Order: sequence, then structure tokens, then C-alpha cells
Amino acid sequence: MIQVQHEDFQVDDLYKGLLKANKTGAVAMFVGLVRHFSTLPKENCRFELEHYPGMTERNLQVIVDEANARWPLLDVCVVHRVGCLAVDDQIVFVGVSAAHRAEAFQACDFIMDYLKSRAAFWKKETQGTESHWVDAKVDDEKSLERWSN
Amino acid sequence: MPKVNVVFFASLKEAIGQGVYQVTFDFPITIGELKQKLAKELENGKALLEKGIQSSIDFEFARDADRIPETVIEVAFFPPVTGG
Repeated sequence: MIQVQHEDFQVDDLYKGLLKANKTGAVAMFVGLVRHFSTLPKENCRFELEHYPGMTERNLQVIVDEANARWPLLDVCVVHRVGCLAVDDQIVFVGVSAAHRAEAFQACDFIMDYLKSRAAFWKKETQGTESHWVDAKVDDEKSLERWSN
Repeated sequence: MPKVNVVFFASLKEAIGQGVYQVTFDFPITIGELKQKLAKELENGKALLEKGIQSSIDFEFARDADRIPETVIEVAFFPPVTGG
């Protein structure tokens, strides 16, 4: 399942959706959250996520397809929120189920790495009256080299 | 000459001051050439020439050297992505 949505998500429900009776031996999951990015009280901070409807979903599908081609996976679930969020809110869920832990861990890591650099999302942080768009990190792009073989 | 939708996102949208622009151009044209044309045509178009600006053709990532097909529906320009 690939979902881009404004609403929050329930990890337990997404986890249960990844389970395949008699087949699942491992589930690896990642949840990304809005950390406190300011010295101001968190009530004075706002966090926005913009996306490109139509492209973002396609980007995520390409990443999930590539993960499925690399590892024998039972199911993959990616949920990414957009819109206005607050400090401590959940942003993203990536869950992978497989027969064994190695492919579940690796595929989850792979999907998050590519999601950071190859999916059309943009973050904006606001502290009081000051806003700025978050810059892409060089390390995120470099992290993709791990998967080049 | 058909009009093509060009869309901008995030900091680039704010710098240019609009999210959508309709442009007409002659084929063949590459993404890089369209970028140069828009940089001149739009009041704050120079923002398009900043380092790292990325693009897409009909929802697929594109590079400056990529030719825009005559069947194009939408081209997008945007800063490096920062999801997750």
C-alpha cells in the first residue's frame, strides 16, 4: 500500500496489514517524526510538508517496485503525511514483511533512503514568524551509493 | 502552438511568485532550454537557474539534457526534495 495523506496513521493497524498468515517471519518498520527544530517552545513552531500530487505517488511506487525486485518481500506499506504538522507528529511509515529478517531490514532501509532523495516532498519549518524551506542533505544523496551494487 | 503547463514547488514557487505558468514553445526543446526561456520570460525567473533545481516531465524526474516530447502535458521545476 502506498498512501500520501493529511491524516495521522496508526502504526498498529499498518503493522497488522503487513502480516500474511503462515508466511510472515519478519516485519521491519520505520516511523519518522517531527523533531523539535527550534529553541522556541514547540507551540510556536510549525512544520509543513508539500508534495506534487501525481508525481509523489509515482515516485514511491518506483521505489517500492525496485525493493520488490531486489528482495523477496511479502508486502510493503508506505504512508507519508503532507500538510501542516506539529513537533512530535508522525510523518512517515515504512513497513516491510518478509519470510526472514535480513530482507525485511534491508528493504525498509532501502525504501527510506530512496524516499528521502527520490520522492517529491518538501519540508518547511516555521519558528515564530520566521519560515524556511529545509535544505536537502548531501549525506542523504550519498547514502544511495550503498545500494549501487 | 499548444500551451504547456509548467508548475513550480516549494521555495521555487515562492521565489517565482506563482505555482503554475502556461508557456508556448517550439519543439524540439530540452528541459535546460525551457529553463533558460522561463528565466527570461518570468519576472523572478532567475530563481530557476539556481544550483540544484530539479525537473520532471509528466511526473517523471528529468535532466537538463532531456528533450520534452511533443505529447507533454506538464513540466515541473522544484528544489531538491526533502521528504521522510
